Amino acid sequence: MAEELPEPRCLIVADADVLIRNALAEYLRHCGYKVFEAATSDEVVIALEEGALRIDALLADAELPGRYNAFELRIWVRDHYPDVDVVLAGNIDSAAKAAGHLCDEGPHLQRPYDPESVAAHVKRLLAATRRQRL
Amino acid sequence: MGAQTILVVEDEFLIRFMLADSLREIGYQVLEAADGDEGFEILMSGQVIDLIITDVRMPGAIDGMELTRRSKSLAPARPVIVCSADLFKSQSHPADEFLAKPYTIEALAGLIARLIGDPWQKSSQNHGA
Repeated sequence: MAEELPEPRCLIVADADVLIRNALAEYLRHCGYKVFEAATSDEVVIALEEGALRIDALLADAELPGRYNAFELRIWVRDHYPDVDVVLAGNIDSAAKAAGHLCDEGPHLQRPYDPESVAAHVKRLLAATRRQRL
Repeated sequence: MGAQTILVVEDEFLIRFMLADSLREIGYQVLEAADGDEGFEILMSGQVIDLIITDVRMPGAIDGMELTRRSKSLAPARPVIVCSADLFKSQSHPADEFLAKPYTIEALAGLIARLIGDPWQKSSQNHGA
């Protein structure tokens, strides 16, 4: 009989800043998670309601735009999906730190790289974008 | 040297997730953008992008056609695949390839492989970035 593969562990990274969202999601993929990237709270709701994959946790920016603000979203998730851990982060440094903690609990035994380097990478990208626009 | 990086620009959340996830399964690196404005921000960040797949109609100031024009201005040789349900191939557009929705991931993967090669088989083409 074929061995059943374990269900993938899934997260949602929700941030309106695409450079932050991409970097956090990529880091968490390296930690072994399947990651939905959501730009708004509406997309978080879609990911949860779609239901094909069980979501373990949501890492969201505290200033996430959309139908619900981040704090309303946390309440909505707690009411509808109580098994989903919600972590709100106020800036890239706290988001990277939270991603590091999620990585410690993740499917892989080791961190792929230091979460502080994620924050540093995002800051470099943001600076490069600003320079291009000057 | 890593796998080729593809930028997926699509405002429909589940389509974007499924497309990006499928391309990652194939072995490509994928960056996701929820609209043309985000796609352009990624291009301006200086990250190496080997190919762009974009929807046409999206919210924001930059639609898929404008994003294609801006990408061509930044890196003329970088391929762009435009996907749409209502764009006719005969219509003038700056993209390298047009894919009518709905499409299969196999059809898209074949198109990508033709433009930039299979994952890990880096194209020798200089995208002019």
